[in-house]
Amino acid sequence: MDIVRRNNVTVTGNPHGPSVVLAHGFGCDQNMWRLTVPALAEDYRVVMFDYVGSGRSDASAFSEDRYSSLDGYARDAVEVCDALDLRDAVFVGHSVSAMIGALAADAAPERIGALVMVAPSPRYVDDDGYRGGFGADDIDELLASLESNYLGWSAAMAPAIMGNAERPELGEELKNSFCATDPDMARVFARTTFLSDSREDLKRVRVPTLVLECTQDVIAPQGVGAFVHEAIPGSVLITLEASGHCPHLSAPAATNQALVEFLAGLR
Amino acid sequence: MSPLKITARDAMTGPVLEVIGALDYANATELREQVTTLAFRPGQRLVLDLAGMEFCDSSGITALIAARNHAYSAEADIALAAVPAHTLRVLRMIGLDQILPLYPDSETAVRS
Amino acid sequence: MMCRADQQPDPHRAGDETSDAVFAALLEDSAEELYESAPCGYLSTLMDGTIAKINGTLLGWLGLEREAVVGRMRFTDLLTVGGKLYHETHFAPLLRMQGEISGIALEIKQTGGGRIPVLVSSVVKHGSTGEPLLIRATVFDARDRRSYEEELLRRRKAAEEARKQAEADRARLQNALAVLQQSLLPDILPSIPGMEAAAHYHAASPDRLGGDFYDVFPLDGNRFAFFLGDVCGKGPQAAALTSLTRYTLRAAALHDPDPVCALSTLNSVLHERYTGSGDPRYCTAVFGTLEPDPATGQVTVHLAAGGHPPALVLRADGTADYLPTPGGLFVGILPDAHFATATTTLDAGDTLLLYTDGLTEARTGEDRTALFGEDSLLAFAAHQAGRSPQAVIHALTGLLNGFGDGLDDDTALLALGVPVRPATSPATRNPE
Repeated sequence: MDIVRRNNVTVTGNPHGPSVVLAHGFGCDQNMWRLTVPALAEDYRVVMFDYVGSGRSDASAFSEDRYSSLDGYARDAVEVCDALDLRDAVFVGHSVSAMIGALAADAAPERIGALVMVAPSPRYVDDDGYRGGFGADDIDELLASLESNYLGWSAAMAPAIMGNAERPELGEELKNSFCATDPDMARVFARTTFLSDSREDLKRVRVPTLVLECTQDVIAPQGVGAFVHEAIPGSVLITLEASGHCPHLSAPAATNQALVEFLAGLR
Repeated sequence: MSPLKITARDAMTGPVLEVIGALDYANATELREQVTTLAFRPGQRLVLDLAGMEFCDSSGITALIAARNHAYSAEADIALAAVPAHTLRVLRMIGLDQILPLYPDSETAVRS
Repeated sequence: MMCRADQQPDPHRAGDETSDAVFAALLEDSAEELYESAPCGYLSTLMDGTIAKINGTLLGWLGLEREAVVGRMRFTDLLTVGGKLYHETHFAPLLRMQGEISGIALEIKQTGGGRIPVLVSSVVKHGSTGEPLLIRATVFDARDRRSYEEELLRRRKAAEEARKQAEADRARLQNALAVLQQSLLPDILPSIPGMEAAAHYHAASPDRLGGDFYDVFPLDGNRFAFFLGDVCGKGPQAAALTSLTRYTLRAAALHDPDPVCALSTLNSVLHERYTGSGDPRYCTAVFGTLEPDPATGQVTVHLAAGGHPPALVLRADGTADYLPTPGGLFVGILPDAHFATATTTLDAGDTLLLYTDGLTEARTGEDRTALFGEDSLLAFAAHQAGRSPQAVIHALTGLLNGFGDGLDDDTALLALGVPVRPATSPATRNPE
């Protein structure tokens, strides 16, 4: 199988530099790293990809069975590393991709030599003293809302509702400007993401790890970053003065600085 | 090929149906339906005049057999008149010439 | 979009003082007043989402006081949990990347616990050096629209379900048809010691269920039986008759393999089944037995036919002849039917060819007056005489394909022949 095509792998930056893999989270695609790439391009070989079911990946490769667990997404990540024959790459994962990175590093230790976790959360649901930020009811509502938000998702791509047979160019244009995915595949990713529990997986992380958390993050509330940091021996926690769940977009300078310093420390 | 046209008249011996055109899968039921509307008295003879029949396939043959069965059930008789050569060949091959009396023309058929 | 402000005052009424006064009053509808009472919600936030300004319309929808909102709440605080998630994973990143985003469906929470579906459009206002300063958003009440959309979605889902159901039904039907069709014809012909057999079936009906049939099967240790025929009509009714015919003949032959007996049994069954049903159905059939002589390799063929075109015998010496069975009656017409019999012997290189009238009745011209016919078939067969059954069937298949649209009936072909050299028997040693 052509993994490079399947996962829409793009490679940029310095071809002779160490490899840094940028992995998007639930929602959009590799375009999320638009403001990160310039900070790395001079010194690092930058690899980006879209998980199957996201962005411009090959939707025909999607299987609900495979992508109903984070292991399925971790296999995507490992297969991308295999396809490029990466060694000791730094895997930068945003949101759920931070956990996917932990699984991938465990599965392919020769491929992944360090982790950067951007706004990670190993467990979204509050659980017996653990505060993930969402009650069980919230998750139900959230999944139900994802169901009904089929409309929300598609309001920006309304033609998708109607099949858009007469004006395919309309759907194409909207898709290009929107983090659009097939609603059915997005639902699978959402369910896998928000029902996962990766707390135990963190204990198996053996590589140098940087944890980046935001001061105001609805999805990964304060305290979660500290939990991740404490669960991974030797990890570094940096709290960014940033609001929202995407510091690489809302506070690119601070995010890039933390990232570059961590990468420099590895060399 | 002309579409099927069936005209009916009464002779001394009973009803005479003139079959003109193609008696095939598409319209053989017309003949079958028309025959079932006929009222026979016992001993009468139904004559099917096939002089104008241009084509007859297996559905047409079936309609001829159905006509025979209908006549027999009313204790009537049946005769075929002026069977075209190609149909005659088929009738002989499938043995129908043994159970359907054949006459050279309808005049002979209503006299015999 | 409706209230464009670029219209010039009507020149014809330029001097009308009353009009001027109305126009002036309209101008006094200040921007501030318009902002507060606009028929949509307005909202400005800092880049971190903190609400800096909000209009009365939106406060009214939320059921909140301005003091409780401005500087105290973020935009995401107004949203449902699902909306928050969608905002963080889609809305905010896109707004950052594109500088604007429009028409996104979200739900805002009301203090009473209610929800209002809204459509949100936002733009980022940048400072003089290009740095993002704040986010301006308009919020439209989308309750009506959402219910239309939900109805659309519901209909679409229902249509999708119906389509899936229809596809499943069609697949099931096709499967059923395939199974039925398979029950009408043998999957493969049995291997007959000392003989070769080949067959071809052309189905005229698009739903594939045909009205012609053939079969070859063992009778006892030495003998085999074969039959081939044509039921009247087309489609499912014809297929039902075909099935009845095939299994009746097989069962009858096992009881008594005499060809006339087998056809008589079939005749009784069909006559009993269809006479008086108002839908008389008959078939033509040729039924025969093959009796090989192990000493000579010759095969004796006994056959009987009812209403069927005569079989052909292709001889090794390059000649071909019909094997006439005149006067055999259509099977199923009369309670007591007469069937014609014939006998021949096949020697090495001879082939018996059975066919249905789809072949001889194939149109070779524009209308039905020009048919392929028995004479042409005889000539064609003579040309094939001496060749193997497979080769004969192959040649006839090519002939059928050549008829194109002229071949509008089902056609079955069955060739049974004695190879020129004895067929390899299991006792024959393989070359070392």
